[in-house]
Amino acid sequence: MKKTVGFVVRHLVLTLLVVIWLVPILWLVVTSFSAYKGINTAHFFPEKWSLDNYKVLFLQPDSVVQYGAWFKNTLLIAIFTCIVSTSFVLMVSYTMSCLRFKGRKGLMSFGIVLNMFPGVLSMIAVYFVMKSLGLTNSHLGMIIVYSAGSGLGYLITKGFMDTISTSLREAAWLEGASEATIFFRIIIPLSQPIIVYTIINSFLVPWGDFVLAKLMLNSGIATDWTIAIGLFNMLGKSLINKYFSIFCAGGVIVSIPISALFVLMQKFYVEGVTGGSVKG
Amino acid sequence: METPETRRGGASSADNSAAATDNTAAADDTAAADDTAADDTAAADNSAATDNAAADNSAASSDDPVANLIAATTDTVKLTVWASEEDQTLTTQLLEDFKAAYPDVTFDITLGSESESTAKDTILADVEAAADVFAFADDQINELVQAGALQPVAATYTYDVASANVAGSVEAATVNDTLYAYPMTADNGYFMFYDASVFSDEDVKSLDKMVEVAEAAGKKIAMDVSNGWYIYAFFQGAGYELTLNDDGSNNCTWNADGATDVAQAIMDLYGTNVLVDMSDEEMATAIAEGTIAAAVNGTWRAETASDAWGENYSATKLPTFNVAGKECQMSSYSGYKLIGVNPYSANIGWSMLLAEFLTNEAAQTARFEARGLGPANVAAASSDAVQADPAIAALAAQAAYATPQRVGGNFWAPAETLGQILADGSAGSDLQSVLDTAVEGIMAPIE
Amino acid sequence: MKNKKKFSGNYFKEFGTAIAKGDIGVKLSLLVMGAGYIARKQIINGLIMIALEAVFIVTCVFYAAPNLAKFGTLGTVQFEQVFDPLTLTSKVNDYDNSFLILLNSIISLCIIAAFIFVYIANIKAVYRLQQQKEAGKHINTFREDIRALFNEKFHITLLSLPCLGIILMNIIPILVLVAVAFTNYDQQHMPPSALFTWVGWKNFKQLFTNSTTLTFGYSFGKILIWTLEWAVLSTLTTFIGGILMAQFINSKKTKLPKLWRTLFMVAIAVPQFVTLLLVRNFFADSGIVNTICSNIGLTDFLKSMGLVSSNLTYIPFLTNPTWAKVMIVLINIWVGVPYQMLIATGVLMNIPVDQLESARIDGANSFQIFWKITMPYVLFITGPSLITDFVRNINNFNVIYLLTQDVYVTSDQLLANSNAKEVDLLVTWLFRLTNEYYNYKIASVIGIIVFIICAGFTLVTFTQTIKGSREEDFR
Repeated sequence: MKKTVGFVVRHLVLTLLVVIWLVPILWLVVTSFSAYKGINTAHFFPEKWSLDNYKVLFLQPDSVVQYGAWFKNTLLIAIFTCIVSTSFVLMVSYTMSCLRFKGRKGLMSFGIVLNMFPGVLSMIAVYFVMKSLGLTNSHLGMIIVYSAGSGLGYLITKGFMDTISTSLREAAWLEGASEATIFFRIIIPLSQPIIVYTIINSFLVPWGDFVLAKLMLNSGIATDWTIAIGLFNMLGKSLINKYFSIFCAGGVIVSIPISALFVLMQKFYVEGVTGGSVKG
Repeated sequence: METPETRRGGASSADNSAAATDNTAAADDTAAADDTAADDTAAADNSAATDNAAADNSAASSDDPVANLIAATTDTVKLTVWASEEDQTLTTQLLEDFKAAYPDVTFDITLGSESESTAKDTILADVEAAADVFAFADDQINELVQAGALQPVAATYTYDVASANVAGSVEAATVNDTLYAYPMTADNGYFMFYDASVFSDEDVKSLDKMVEVAEAAGKKIAMDVSNGWYIYAFFQGAGYELTLNDDGSNNCTWNADGATDVAQAIMDLYGTNVLVDMSDEEMATAIAEGTIAAAVNGTWRAETASDAWGENYSATKLPTFNVAGKECQMSSYSGYKLIGVNPYSANIGWSMLLAEFLTNEAAQTARFEARGLGPANVAAASSDAVQADPAIAALAAQAAYATPQRVGGNFWAPAETLGQILADGSAGSDLQSVLDTAVEGIMAPIE
Repeated sequence: MKNKKKFSGNYFKEFGTAIAKGDIGVKLSLLVMGAGYIARKQIINGLIMIALEAVFIVTCVFYAAPNLAKFGTLGTVQFEQVFDPLTLTSKVNDYDNSFLILLNSIISLCIIAAFIFVYIANIKAVYRLQQQKEAGKHINTFREDIRALFNEKFHITLLSLPCLGIILMNIIPILVLVAVAFTNYDQQHMPPSALFTWVGWKNFKQLFTNSTTLTFGYSFGKILIWTLEWAVLSTLTTFIGGILMAQFINSKKTKLPKLWRTLFMVAIAVPQFVTLLLVRNFFADSGIVNTICSNIGLTDFLKSMGLVSSNLTYIPFLTNPTWAKVMIVLINIWVGVPYQMLIATGVLMNIPVDQLESARIDGANSFQIFWKITMPYVLFITGPSLITDFVRNINNFNVIYLLTQDVYVTSDQLLANSNAKEVDLLVTWLFRLTNEYYNYKIASVIGIIVFIICAGFTLVTFTQTIKGSREEDFR
């Protein structure tokens, strides 16, 4: 009897938590199907349902909504950012974890401290560095901005690599393999979980950043934007009452690739994070 | 000072050769070449001069700036234009017309979207990367001028900006006697719209009366007093001053003798909970849902209100309010949307011509027809259709009590907080020290 | 510290020895960098060095020198423009842009520093070659040198690109902003139309002195306290929440753990900025939650409790200082806990089962087990990432900005006078100062202070990890 009560209570609590967590998401989804374009504050569920918001997103881009273009831009930037960032992180982590050279520890501390600088502040300087390279308002510029400094985020990956047994590397070494061969043939395959973790994290950056993107992509031409700028723009003072439900539809769509990624890589993700944290 | 810089061609000089003969120049054109200041009276004199000189049809094309420019332009002219999201369709059309007006020149014009209300933020981050021609709200003009982001309107070519637009708009586009921008609309100020089924014509004259009526009807009145732009209506209306100094700091008498009565009046009005402090976006929703029967806001919300209230939608000047027994007419900021030219533009001449084109009578009329925006152009504004628009009529009625926005950046945050604490009643009883602190922040020196 | 001195001492000593004892090839390298290599028949290496030196000299003459010449004043020629109304053209003078001078000077200094480093390394390398030759050892061919880059010098190959990126995107911007803290770069002095110049420590003094009209010092103190409170609260709540939730779901008594986990994951699949902007409208003063609360009478109930001021008709979720702070922490829990749960799930799966079993046999109940075994284990494993999270929260721009920007109006007049708000973190404050008020000088000072605080925390906690031999422990 006591067991059944416990069982029921446990699941009731879980249900309650799930409700709390999902109510805003539910609101996002139902609002995205609302025929009323502004914020509906009187009713949770829309009074009139409609698919118009999704139609605007994909079929009838107007001067405010260029969702297709944004999606393409963001995806492109995300893919390349992901490739470059992941390579940089792996390169730095491997160096710091497996190689021994003069000044290694100094560099590591320096890297960690450098990573603490609030990015918001150095943004304007980053902008002018990119401008003098002629890379503002370009996707290449965005990729560089998102990925160039990624080497600093080596800590967790390095921690993971620290757990890979030295004997494997020594065996390879005795067989005459170069450090490069060891890196590509031994360490990378063994680091799969942490690579997935790095991939997910770097892939997500362009989807969520609007501050830096807004500064860098300042031509005012909507088709150049990323999803984050576009959606943020819709909630501007003059637009919010005409575009709120479209914003919601955009939010629903953008979560599709991200959830797909999460679901596909969930298993690796968990392993990757904890593996790295073990040694930090 | 003879500055015959104004050319009076057709509003759209579709035929360039015709424009060249029409636009005969006064003889002393060159003398004024280095005079970059546009002077209202000089411009007026000058148009007269141009008309007189029109008799002399022998002017060579080299004396005609526009013809000179066309002749000097060999490459494709690349321009970027920023207009608000809502203005994109119309501006695209106008840009096509502009290209058609100069058939001998190849243009490559890119249209970007940048809201007039945030243009300053984007432009000041990097002036050199900003558009050649951009639209902005007149409250940003001081900061834009200070940052050197506006090309003075040293001369006009297709119409006379200073005389064609209403005086208030020209004043709003002028800083230190120099005209810096082209007025585009004259409807960016605020007024009051209300539901005529709740309030009578007589009720809307006094805010206190309105509160009474609204309370009885179970409705609310909205005004965003926790916003420097709107709280100004009370203090200015009661005769307290806020002015801009040359260095960009403010001068403010909102803590002078008797100003606490104004603060008390605001507290009392908002204390009723009938007059409510609401942001613009919230107001839009509240109007649509019918909880609000009157609002102090601008033309950008007029559509929401007329949709919600149907034929009961009415608009008028701001009401009076009671300060220690005395009825004071609420003041307001007049607001204009302007078009500016970027001094760092590579094609400054074409940018100026485009700015003129986007603000000429035809364009302003088109803007009213397409979007209902009140023209700044005198001729465009005198049309029957414009006159019949209740929002524009209300703005005209309020114009007598409105002042152009001349205020430094230090005003906003302290004024916003002042409005906030007066409206939510947390200001306490020592209103004088509240006002003193606010004024201290508003008048903070700029070094 | 001692080590460092010794290190730098050795560094220059080796350089001195190389010059003193080097032969003509080494000495010639002082002037023509490739000479030493060519003397040892390493022609390609030599040519690369000569090319490098040539590029450096060209850069110096055409880029570094003109900029560094103006570095002391940050420019003297103000932008001027003359418009000719007759030709519709404008003539612009050859003006100085203080910011670009600053930026380019710093880039130049970086290039020069890098060159000096290479220069010294070069002398040492050619001296080493000389020694090898004298000792009759084998001297590498070019191909062997290349191969070494994938072997014993592999770290150089691996680090060069990431380091270049870091210098470009992190070091140079940071140096620029540190420099800006010592200038008067603000709205009155904004390039390109105006110049700014050096002012020494003035901005730092301004921040820490309360003059009658400037309340920066006051605001700084208040915001710093809230920033630290927030960092502690947000880190701990999401961390503990994540573990509890993971524990709860992983428990054998819970049916369908995967389903529950997936349901919570839905909340993080939507990008953070979308959910935050959504939630902000959800809890707006006249938003849907307030409508519901007032319909079910919650608003009136809270009023009678004195939790909501009596003259309000809504619950000021995000507009009253106390309510907003609580809501921000709660919303952050909402955003952060599923994420932490994901991590904690992994940790908990690896928990040593034997320890749990023996505790259970000893008669410990599940709460005791949780606090005595599970928590210490989890803390041990995720400790370092907890510190990273803490620092990340100090700089958590998104949550605060997206929830309060344009919505929250401060009711503290002194804060308002320095453009701050109660709910601001140092980063959001400095963002507003730069983005809306263009007060780059003060923002830079604040940035430096944030940096010092964060760097302090991290160094203290991480030196343990870096210094220790723990790196090798688990191999």
